[in-house]
Amino acid sequence: MKKKLLSTLIAASMVAAALAGCAAPAPAPAAAPAADTGASAEAEASEPSAEAAADSGEAVTLKWALWDKDTTVYYQPLVDAYTAAHPNVTIEMVDLGSTDYSTVLGTQLSGSGSDFDVVTIKDVPGYVTLVNKGVIEPLDELIARDGIDLSKFSGVTDQVTIDGKLYELPFRSDIWVLFYNKAIFDNAGVDYPTNDMTWEQYDELARKITDTTAGARVYGAHYHTWRSTIQLDGILDGKHTIVDGTYDFTKPYYDMVLSQQKDGVCMDYATLKTQGLHYSAAFAQGNVGMLNMGSWFIATLINGIKTGEYNVSDWGMVKYPHAEGVEPGSTLSTITALSIPTSSANKEAAWDFIKFVCTEEGAEVMAGTGNIPAMTNESIVDIIAEMDGFPQDSKEALITSHTYLEMPANEKSSEIETVLNEQHDNIMNEIVSVDEGIAAMNEGVQAILGQ
Amino acid sequence: MPLLSQSRREEDVSKADRRPAGGQGAVYLPCPIESEDNMNSASIKRKRRQTLVAYSFIAPNFLGFAVFTLGPIILAFIMAFTEWDGNNPMKFVGLLNFTSIFSDDRFLSSLRNTVVYSIFTVPFTLIAALGLAILLNQKIKGRTFFRTVTFFPYVASLVAVAAVWNMLFTPSEEGLINQLLINVFHAEPLKWAASPKTVMLTIVLFSIWKNMGYYMVIYLAGLQGISEDLYEAAALDGAGAWQRFWYVTLPQLKPTTFFVTIMLTISCFKIYDIVYMLAGGSNGVVNKSAMVLVYYIYEEAFRNWKLGRASASALVLFLIVLVITLIQFKGEKNYAND
Amino acid sequence: MESKSQNRLIKNIIIYALLILLAVIMLVPFIWMITASLKMNKDIFVIPYQWWNPEPKWSNYLDIWTKIPLAKYALNTVKLTIIVTILQIVTSSFAAYAFAKLQFKGRDILFLAYIATIAVPWQVYMVPQFIFMRSLGLADTHLAIIILQAFSAFGVFLMRQFYEGIPDSLCEAARIDGMSEYKIYAKIMLPLSKPALSTLTIFTFVNTWNDFLGPLIYLTTDSKKTLQIGIKMFISQYSAEYGLIMAASVISLIPVLIVFMALQKYFVAGITTGAVKG
Repeated sequence: MKKKLLSTLIAASMVAAALAGCAAPAPAPAAAPAADTGASAEAEASEPSAEAAADSGEAVTLKWALWDKDTTVYYQPLVDAYTAAHPNVTIEMVDLGSTDYSTVLGTQLSGSGSDFDVVTIKDVPGYVTLVNKGVIEPLDELIARDGIDLSKFSGVTDQVTIDGKLYELPFRSDIWVLFYNKAIFDNAGVDYPTNDMTWEQYDELARKITDTTAGARVYGAHYHTWRSTIQLDGILDGKHTIVDGTYDFTKPYYDMVLSQQKDGVCMDYATLKTQGLHYSAAFAQGNVGMLNMGSWFIATLINGIKTGEYNVSDWGMVKYPHAEGVEPGSTLSTITALSIPTSSANKEAAWDFIKFVCTEEGAEVMAGTGNIPAMTNESIVDIIAEMDGFPQDSKEALITSHTYLEMPANEKSSEIETVLNEQHDNIMNEIVSVDEGIAAMNEGVQAILGQ
Repeated sequence: MPLLSQSRREEDVSKADRRPAGGQGAVYLPCPIESEDNMNSASIKRKRRQTLVAYSFIAPNFLGFAVFTLGPIILAFIMAFTEWDGNNPMKFVGLLNFTSIFSDDRFLSSLRNTVVYSIFTVPFTLIAALGLAILLNQKIKGRTFFRTVTFFPYVASLVAVAAVWNMLFTPSEEGLINQLLINVFHAEPLKWAASPKTVMLTIVLFSIWKNMGYYMVIYLAGLQGISEDLYEAAALDGAGAWQRFWYVTLPQLKPTTFFVTIMLTISCFKIYDIVYMLAGGSNGVVNKSAMVLVYYIYEEAFRNWKLGRASASALVLFLIVLVITLIQFKGEKNYAND
Repeated sequence: MESKSQNRLIKNIIIYALLILLAVIMLVPFIWMITASLKMNKDIFVIPYQWWNPEPKWSNYLDIWTKIPLAKYALNTVKLTIIVTILQIVTSSFAAYAFAKLQFKGRDILFLAYIATIAVPWQVYMVPQFIFMRSLGLADTHLAIIILQAFSAFGVFLMRQFYEGIPDSLCEAARIDGMSEYKIYAKIMLPLSKPALSTLTIFTFVNTWNDFLGPLIYLTTDSKKTLQIGIKMFISQYSAEYGLIMAASVISLIPVLIVFMALQKYFVAGITTGAVKG
């Protein structure tokens, strides 16, 4: 109902604008047609007329919202591969910038005047807010109609299904691995990390290679300031999720890292946070033994070594350490996905493009650029490993047994994240004890979930 | 009530316009172009004409402003009483947004931090800016250079300014300022931006440093408006440098100070990027201890897409600033009437 | 005589000592920017910072032009900044004259509305404003940025406060001479308010030049983007090229400093009512 109020006000101010003579020729007031609800848009998508337009070979231009257009290696190859098979389709990539992508996208999709046909979804909290806003289409009917096998996404789509509906299809997936600098292990005369290490063994290893002598400083491990690097180690046993509302399982990991921090095994959180040292720069110095980080770092690292910027030459990757009694290969993942805005005029064509990018054909293109596609099979890891500069002994690290999203879809994702971030910061800055921090997480998240 | 009048003369005119004759009318000077007998009809005519002329002066700016800024702002205030995510239909919820933000710990902290920040930042920045302006208004060699240098932190990239700052105020013992504390003052080193106790202090110091050059520019321009005659007259009366400052410079700068105070207050209440830069650090996590209003608004609006709550918070901010501004107007008036 | 000149000497020494200390404190960020702009990315945030870099990476200053269309962005920014600044100066000084020197109904309320809106953070009305602008067909146009920036309350407030400092007697005298209000504005007020106009020019220039979020939300076509968006493009999802960012920031700072240095010369020789009357 109140939508009317908004429309009236906007219309009124438009009249004022027109009277003032400073209005451009206005098209139909965009705010007046209230936003399509998910349901009506859904019906629209399956209308035969839309379908016909896509198949008839009529010229279609799809507007695709993304970030880092020029520095991301796979956008253009994906577009080229698709348009080669569909010469009637033109893909227009629109770069909304990486730093404020979710804000800009959310604003662009507000009201119903957006002309995007495909939007990239950067993270899960961003995805959830778009779903809540009702600006992206549920894809289930299309998925069922075209017989897409979701099991090939290794369970990830289940974690972003909201109330039984899936609104995005992932095309890129990054998993967390442990990077290590071989020179440091060689110098210390210690064996390289393995694909089957418990957290205790990892801790021991990190301490072994640490050197606190001034001038020859070596850090056994490095943790970027993100909550994921420590807090989420706890969910890898598969017994908990990060939206549970109880976080006692994170205690051993905080204890481990805080004790490492105290003993100089890793850099101090407070300093890292205020000085803004990027993890890539930290690893590039050549005095960090091990770094837990996402697989997106592979490309950056290879490039940094190639250009001679990094003081690292030989490096490797192993699977994430695991808790006692858990199968190795459990790790965290993040996905990048595509959605169709409800306001799109070319939904059927957009879906066809998304289908291409997210399934086998697109997956091969992605792998060819050295990135892990969301839909994986045996040959994908081999394609990635062909990349120039990829350490051949590290292929195994990319094979996973279970992957857990850094943040599964939950209606309250972004609010939960705020609480977890804050307590992570408190614990790592040693403002509160681990127990106090965890108690505050429990209390804060339960309050949000109880709303 | 003519709250907004500044100059003594104008105030007198408006007083005469609106109050029954008598009152404080002793200082009222009739307009020279009007003689006593035809004052009524002529003044009405003149007033009407002047109103039209005045509107024609204001129109170009005001129309653009009203349509593109004032309109959306009014809408935002209506949003404060609704639940809206930017797309779905607005839902009127009465005062719910207000009750919910006032029971939100994060909002209350942000409110408190913003007020504390403003209380400390406004006066010190003002004094620093005025001092700098007076210093750099002297005829000294290399004046252009020094003026430019002072303006520099304001225009330099925030990343650079914050990086330098963080270098000086490193939370570890190696930090330059901490070295100073330990070696010169034999005090405990502080954790600055990394500790909830000192993070606001760090932000206050940083803002003063970064922004004093900006307000210095306004004061510099204001200083040019002071007539040399006044200084000469004061000098003839035997006033010293301090007295000239106190009795000529300061009163003459009143409109400027008024402007600077209001703008400074507003910008302090709207502080956002500095906090994100200093307290957010490399992971962008701003803790409750450094949370400020606009950051809270940003989070509510663009992370949670609760535009109603964001607007309600903004309305609170707006009302606080409005009250402060009105008090300043009053203070100004009393000062002028002394 | 001697003690007087000695006093002056001491005073000068104190003043210059203060100024030099001030200059050092204020210049450190600038020196940091320049040194960082000549470093490799990995070395910028290293602790402790290396002020002296034996192998300056000059190529950063070349790469910024080829990695992104920085020249095009700079051109867009120049265009926007100049148009906005001119519009802002003209409309604000015009409106401010009415608020400072004319009597009319609703003046105080109107002025209060102007000032009060400055206190409303843009973040809260950004979304309705964007929807409105898009409905006018102004999304992804430079006109949108111009409209948003040019009609600010700030300029009106600033100019009004400076006009307040100009004695009303000047206007009254001109009115007796039969000058119209427009003429008084153009012939008397404008020439007298050079310091204020310079201030407003500097501030508007800096604001528009450094504006980031506005252009980011509104401008989506590559060829329309601005310098600040370009600089942020060096921060990608997984890495940030701080060497390039600083190089581009140094370049983008040059016009701002030129404008400042060119205009600050008007901050001299205050008006003397005597001179004007004579």
